[in-house]
Amino acid sequence: MAKYLLKRVLYMFLTLFIIASLTFFLMKIIPGTPFASANKLGPAQMEIMKAKYGLDQPVPVQYAIYIGNLLKGDLGISFQFNNTPVTDLMFKRLGPSMQLGAQAMLLGTIVGILLGIFAALRQNTWVDYSSTFVAVLGKSIPNFVFAGLLQYFVGVKLGWFPVLFWRGFEYTILPTIALSMLPIAIAARFMRTEMIEVLSSDYITLAKAKGASFFEIAFKHALRNALIPLVTVLGPLAISLMTGSLVIEKIFAIPGLGEQFVKSITVNDYPVIMGTTILFAALFVVIILVVDILYGIIDPRIRLSGGNK
Amino acid sequence: MKKSKFSLLLILTLVFSLFLTACSGGKDNTEGEKPADKDDATGEEVANVPQELRMLDSSEIPTMDTVLAEGSTSFTYINNVGEGLYRLDQDHKPVPALADGAPEISDDQKVYTFKLKDSKWSNGEPVTAHDFVFAWRRAIDPATASPYGPYMMGGKIKGAAEITEAGAAKKDYNLEDLGVKALDDKTLEVTLEKPVVYWEDLFAFPTFYPQNEKFVTEKGDAFASNAENLLYNGPFKMEKWEGTDATEWVLVKNPEYHSADDVTLEKITVNVVKDSNSAVNAFEAGETDMTGLLSSDIVPSYEGDDRMLRWNDPVVFWIKMNQKNEALANVNIRKAIAMGFNKEDLANSILNNGSVAANYFVPKDFVTGPNGEDFREKHGDLIVFNAEEAKKHWEQGLKELGVDKLEIRYLGGDTEAAKKTDAYIKNQLETNLPGLTVKLESVPFAVRLERDNAMDYDLQFAGWGPDYGNALSFTDLWITDGGSNRMGYSNKKYDELIKAAQGELATDPEKNWEAQQEAERIMLEEDAGLAPVYQRANNILLNPAVKGLAIYNYGPDYSFQWVKITEAE
Amino acid sequence: MADFEPKISKDRFRPAEIDASKSEEINKPSLTFWQDAWMRVRKNKGALFSLIVMGIVVILALVGPLISGKEFDKQNVSHNNLPPKIQGLEHISWLPFDGVKVNKAGKEIDMYEVKKVDEYYWFGTDALGRDLFTRVWKGTQISLYIALLAATIDMIIGVAYGSISGYFGGRLDNVMQRITEILVGIPTMIVVILMILVLDPGIISITIALTITGWVGMARVVRAQTLKLKEQEFVLASKTLGNSDGKIISKHLLPNLAGVIIINTMFTIPNAVFFEAFLSFIGLGLQEPYASLGTLIDEGFKVLRLHPHEMIIPAVVISIIMITFNMLADGLRDALDPKMRD
Repeated sequence: MAKYLLKRVLYMFLTLFIIASLTFFLMKIIPGTPFASANKLGPAQMEIMKAKYGLDQPVPVQYAIYIGNLLKGDLGISFQFNNTPVTDLMFKRLGPSMQLGAQAMLLGTIVGILLGIFAALRQNTWVDYSSTFVAVLGKSIPNFVFAGLLQYFVGVKLGWFPVLFWRGFEYTILPTIALSMLPIAIAARFMRTEMIEVLSSDYITLAKAKGASFFEIAFKHALRNALIPLVTVLGPLAISLMTGSLVIEKIFAIPGLGEQFVKSITVNDYPVIMGTTILFAALFVVIILVVDILYGIIDPRIRLSGGNK
Repeated sequence: MKKSKFSLLLILTLVFSLFLTACSGGKDNTEGEKPADKDDATGEEVANVPQELRMLDSSEIPTMDTVLAEGSTSFTYINNVGEGLYRLDQDHKPVPALADGAPEISDDQKVYTFKLKDSKWSNGEPVTAHDFVFAWRRAIDPATASPYGPYMMGGKIKGAAEITEAGAAKKDYNLEDLGVKALDDKTLEVTLEKPVVYWEDLFAFPTFYPQNEKFVTEKGDAFASNAENLLYNGPFKMEKWEGTDATEWVLVKNPEYHSADDVTLEKITVNVVKDSNSAVNAFEAGETDMTGLLSSDIVPSYEGDDRMLRWNDPVVFWIKMNQKNEALANVNIRKAIAMGFNKEDLANSILNNGSVAANYFVPKDFVTGPNGEDFREKHGDLIVFNAEEAKKHWEQGLKELGVDKLEIRYLGGDTEAAKKTDAYIKNQLETNLPGLTVKLESVPFAVRLERDNAMDYDLQFAGWGPDYGNALSFTDLWITDGGSNRMGYSNKKYDELIKAAQGELATDPEKNWEAQQEAERIMLEEDAGLAPVYQRANNILLNPAVKGLAIYNYGPDYSFQWVKITEAE
Repeated sequence: MADFEPKISKDRFRPAEIDASKSEEINKPSLTFWQDAWMRVRKNKGALFSLIVMGIVVILALVGPLISGKEFDKQNVSHNNLPPKIQGLEHISWLPFDGVKVNKAGKEIDMYEVKKVDEYYWFGTDALGRDLFTRVWKGTQISLYIALLAATIDMIIGVAYGSISGYFGGRLDNVMQRITEILVGIPTMIVVILMILVLDPGIISITIALTITGWVGMARVVRAQTLKLKEQEFVLASKTLGNSDGKIISKHLLPNLAGVIIINTMFTIPNAVFFEAFLSFIGLGLQEPYASLGTLIDEGFKVLRLHPHEMIIPAVVISIIMITFNMLADGLRDALDPKMRD
């Protein structure tokens, strides 16, 4: 196991290196100017601006400098926010995004699992259909519509929760609900399927015959069975929720990473794009490793380290 | 029925929350009592209301460094916490600020000698002429790589363009060649390249503000990185601003400001809300007194509401026609396109936010001439929608080109309403000009700028806002090979008129005025070098209790210097 | 159980005749896999109902633009932003099809009278005065195509990639998983913006963009499920019997994967539909005057408070498609599940 882990960690760095390099070269061919006042700059000034950010160097030189700095943990300075180091920009914004993502994952997973269980127990009744209805609606109505309606009706009209901003726990409630729609949908759907499968299997009949309670069947047997697809999907989803959602952050005026990242792409702020990509990718490969290890814990029959011989 | 109840509820909520905030503001801010007493003298309507403005902005402040600033958000806050030789007043006129009265001007109108008022930085040091010299040199220094420094100084301040050229060519340059000198602590001498008609505007622009050399050098890279690493000499100072990515900041009255007695407002709290709908929701929930600009989709629902404030912005949107394109080099084709779409319908029915159809490129309500008339008085409409005329020109043009149909690319715009506008114009042109196919290409802003730069387009929907209060801000765009022309328009007569307006006519306001009006007429009426579309109107929601907000057409967006919060009605 | 039943006569207990020729006989009617599945889908009322509704939507998508008598791209600015009005339904006051709009003061205004319009726009019009009925069904055509495309890509690339990676494991799995990590690691938006350089906007660009990125989620779920299944007894049995790997994957693993595959498709489809809307926004998807349900919702949301019909109608259509699809898929899954056959 230790050997397997070590190998995977080494691969992780290799993967990150490839992602960083590919993104770097993609940046070089991406269309668009990084300078907001480009329509006012004369050719001479354009040269000076490029020199300031090292864009006047040949691409291989830029690449070498970039990788060198990366190894030192220096991600450069942002173009759009003058002279601000990318690491500062990223880590200040990561906090709210992380908190919001974690809350939404927690709420979404719990609600989703419960919905799924009830749906499976009352298969093909109105309970099942309305659970499907909620889950599907959560996924097919775009986030921005849902968040916008929530803000307007619950925030402005009913006044139950703060309308926007990020100043304390009560401010996180509406965005958390809006963001949890996706995990709810996913958890509910997977849970329902696995639960139905489990309920019809022999060992549950046996467990029932032995007098196992409903609670035991649902949470001990069915949940365990549903965990494999759930962690596979929810693991990476947690990362993408915790690194920020453009829509939710924009609507609720939350100083998060998602909005900043998308904006940096639209204004060609190369250092911020690169930095955020690497951060995201690093978190992602770590979670994939964790998920792979979890497989073995959830179902001891799964062995990843060996081949299939 | 539902809606009326609902709006009643909204008003109640608004009133109630205003009341609440008024109470809480009074409670936790004991200092708030004192100025309120003092203000009794200036106006009784502000008697017991906390002088605090809560507002929303639509973006972070990209920089507070005056020499690096390039956008209106930066300019707005720099203007409110800083000051230059001149300053825009309540009526949008540049008036002496740090300059003690009007400068002494040499006979050739190239050398300006300013006497400075006694004033202090927020750290107690006096503002001197050396501070101006330091800041201006820093702005033009290629090592600073400021975008606006060379743009505002090049060709205007003596020696500026040469420094930029040398910097770009990686040759030696001497910052002392820049035409700015401190004769003593209180006397500043500025030498211009050639006379500049709008010099007062220039010296009021944030790029020309002073900076304290000792402070800037001491802070190094940390300068302007947050509220503590800045010095202030304006009506307000920043109390809280954690840096360029901060989404909340607080400005408070600067007691050291030389005209502090005229400033009533005590505190401004700004929050960033990027979504226009959310900003409106915050306003309706009573969380703020003022929103950012409303997107045009929201405006119709506030039509006739006294909380909505509207003004004509001197920003004109137009279709640039790339005259390097063979078909668009033909004047008849250009005329056909410029006349071939119904702008009235676009402005009134589709945008529907107060924007007006533009048959010109120098906006209305922007500049007033020596005769006291608006620029638009003489030639109001230069190129209007006329489907029949357009069709005639189109057929004529096709005959001259020897073809019977054309496909033209259309590079999409970047306004919020861009998609609708583009779809409408495409449909109008294709309907009114038989044989024309318009190929829409909508691209992100950064890509459009790059393609504009490379002139990689046929038609391009774009907009322009001025940087100073003179029609030259628009007319100098289209001189042959002008920096921002980028569509290959060239007309000798036009060049002559504008060169004259920038040069020998700089000292003759009337002739200058006429030359520019004539140039605009030639460009549009004769050459149809450009297809103007509409002039933008801006809309914000503002609490009616807020009075005295100064709104600017160029540079900063607003000044809060004269704002008073009156009792809510 | 304990009850003793004495009434059964003894002659009913006879030794069975053992007929070697009949031991191989099948008593149930012989049904193919699909016949069997269909039989069980029919028993599921929810699924059957969904099938019918979905059929109606598909038919409307195809004939809708033809029966409206209007063109999807014909602009008429003087008729813009009209609320829906349908002949026959206009007098039923609780239905929103009377062409009446409630203004801010709460007064009901017949927009058709105000604008002096005699025509009926069944779903109203948009900001440019285009008929929304025609545009919604035209858009449904495109969105259905996207949905079908996304599902196909998922089924083909995603399922194959995931099951191969999971089944063979070891080094192959390692390499294949690192490749997907790299694919996910590079921001989709950048890849897509780059494609503006090489491709013309339109259906082909959408297809390519989806093909590059759309299948990774499916591959991961299928791989995980395969990892779990391949260690189970029936796979081992099949292997011992000498079946080839290909046969084990397609005959034994895939049927057991049906559940997760169907659920995952449900997530892929709306993703794809809104991804297309995003592509149009950045200039790579459909360009005006063409529309899809995704772009209609995007546009409609901006004017939701003023002209609610412009968003609600396409949103309802997409929700109907998604819900019926899911109910149908649930029924199908239950029907296909090898463990649940009786």
